Amino acid sequence: MPFENLPDLVPVLPEIFLALVIMSLLMFGVFQRGGRAETDVNTFRVISWMAVVTLIVTPLLVLSLAGSTLIGFGGLFISDPFSVFCKILVLIGSAGSLVMARNFLEEHDMARFEYPVLVVFATLGMLMMISANDLISLYMGLEMQSLSLYVIAAFRRDDTRSTEAGLKYFVLGAVASGMFLYGASLIYGFAGTTNFTILEQVLQRDTQDEYGQSLGIIFGIVFILSALAFKVSAVPFHMWTPDVYEGAPTPVTALFAIAPKIAALALFMRVMVGPFGDLISEWRQIIIFISVGSMLLGALAAINQRNIKRMMAYSSISHVGFALMGLAVGHDSGIRAILVYLTIYLFMNIGTFACILAMRRGGVMVEAIDELAGLGKTHPLMAAAMTVFMFSMAGIPPLAGFFGKLYIFLSVIQAELYLLAVIGVLTSVVGSFYYLRVIRLMYFEDPDEPLDRPVSREISLIATLAGLVTVLFFLYPDFLVLSAATASSALFLN
Amino acid sequence: MQAFLAEYLPILIFIGIATIFSGIAVGASLFIAPQRPDVEKTSAYECGFEAFGDARHKFDVRFYLVAILFIIFDLEVAFLFPWAISLGNIGAFGFWSMMIFLGILTIGFVYEWRKGALEWE
Amino acid sequence: MLEITISHYLTVAAILFTLGIVGIFLNRKNVIIILMSVELMLLAVNLNLVAFSSHLNDLVGQVFAMFILTVAAAEAAVGLAILVVFFRNRGSIAVEDVNMMKG
Repeated sequence: MPFENLPDLVPVLPEIFLALVIMSLLMFGVFQRGGRAETDVNTFRVISWMAVVTLIVTPLLVLSLAGSTLIGFGGLFISDPFSVFCKILVLIGSAGSLVMARNFLEEHDMARFEYPVLVVFATLGMLMMISANDLISLYMGLEMQSLSLYVIAAFRRDDTRSTEAGLKYFVLGAVASGMFLYGASLIYGFAGTTNFTILEQVLQRDTQDEYGQSLGIIFGIVFILSALAFKVSAVPFHMWTPDVYEGAPTPVTALFAIAPKIAALALFMRVMVGPFGDLISEWRQIIIFISVGSMLLGALAAINQRNIKRMMAYSSISHVGFALMGLAVGHDSGIRAILVYLTIYLFMNIGTFACILAMRRGGVMVEAIDELAGLGKTHPLMAAAMTVFMFSMAGIPPLAGFFGKLYIFLSVIQAELYLLAVIGVLTSVVGSFYYLRVIRLMYFEDPDEPLDRPVSREISLIATLAGLVTVLFFLYPDFLVLSAATASSALFLN
Repeated sequence: MQAFLAEYLPILIFIGIATIFSGIAVGASLFIAPQRPDVEKTSAYECGFEAFGDARHKFDVRFYLVAILFIIFDLEVAFLFPWAISLGNIGAFGFWSMMIFLGILTIGFVYEWRKGALEWE
Repeated sequence: MLEITISHYLTVAAILFTLGIVGIFLNRKNVIIILMSVELMLLAVNLNLVAFSSHLNDLVGQVFAMFILTVAAAEAAVGLAILVVFFRNRGSIAVEDVNMMKG
């Protein structure tokens, strides 16, 4: 038998599929006759659509693994209902941002086929992060995602702001990786393993014996926690977010605000609740602190922003703060609330960024919030969509965003973290101020000069779909809540 | 003591062979090859720079790019050493895993080749 | 004769790691120095892992160190490439010139 120790490849099928597609697309693209701008754009278009199709097919492969827990590669890789749920969210986010990107990239002279390839690469990294069951595979997934994202942040390579965004993201991301690794090395040294399943048993045993946890483990957790806070851009490690969101090309910002955030939060949940679940008394305070900090900073700092991408950066920081509230709960119900919240966040954000991408004048992107003035008169449909997303982000019923917040608050109150819930409600009220300001601008102020029409077909399609999900969510929330419940209970099996 | 020294015999043989071969190589070029020295040929060679001078002046960014491309392939090859040592124990699966890895590396290499990153001009 | 124990290795690694972090946040001159500091952090981690690996008599630590080495190379390549692009636009790689966006 030549292949007697062949690992079980079934749980990794979606990832293998993506990897093969990436390599074929790369080779296909690079062997096209390049040189003339026209053919380059054609190659870009073909590869872009193929990448989108791939990202739409992969969820089917992921779904075929739903319902069971499979472990592959000697415990390095796990596929369970939780990972299936998060992977589908990530794939939807990446596919959406890629569809929206095409027009922008062509108009701004960035239509190179490497862009879709890099996006799929980053997505592959995210899927690996979500499915990691070992510190080593976690690190590989994290880096695969991060390295691709550094490059696409700087993708507009003749633009100072874009390259500066790439540089800042790279430096701070590398520091975060370093901190993660230092924490991982401490965990490995003091627990003797990197595997999550064994780690959980070791830490459980240590918690119960008389000496308690060694200091090395606690230090390791703190380091890993700060690195993860960095990746989800929670306070106090948020400082890169506004700059990177502002500097990166807008479709890239859309991607950043959606897919990596969901993947990093999924990772956060798996690591904290899985191997470190028995140490919740040690890390709960830290999570509460960063959650409150993110909500406060996100709500207050966004008020003064003039650039809409910067405002969205602060908005995403405060959303992460809300999601982390659910993690502070630590139970099944908290994780379920986060998953519901993330799903709704995904649709609201895709829609908002579709509207932002439609803000063009004379074929050039404009980014100031004031440019939205009078949109209600010049582009009634787009203004209506934007209104829906802004109201939903502010958490006004009966839009989807309200339900996301509701589930989080319910689980927090169930866990008797009343102070946290009160702070959450207060920051939510403060935060709605800047969302409502956008709406006031659109309907109660006169336009200087109308934005371009017509909006491209892909963008209006995505805005419409996201808007419909946001508006009609209250009719049928059961499906999402039930699948989130299945997914979250998978983390608490043992 | 004898057995202890015998373990080092292969190293002694290696040193001997290395000395003989390098002696042949240097000697052959000294005696057989034509010798027509000029200023360019006799000056010390340092990757296209002036060999002596201020170390702090700017140099062509293309050196930089070659170095970037080199460092990736250089370090990925680090995986080959443990693989080669343990090849006898890991069987066909181990062998093909490395072949897949090298295949992926080759795809990266083909990409940079086609992109013209390896050309100086 | 002083015996070198695991704690000595850990102390050296901790010092190197701290030097790396301090180098990043106190450095006001050149972005390349930041890259070097990042590399120093990763090497400190590798030292930690190899020391633990030998202490625990477990190979996983060394495997992890190998992966970190190779990923660090890829990371350095991406970082330098972004730096080159930034330099072409801005004409400088001084840390104080990375300041187009503030807020």
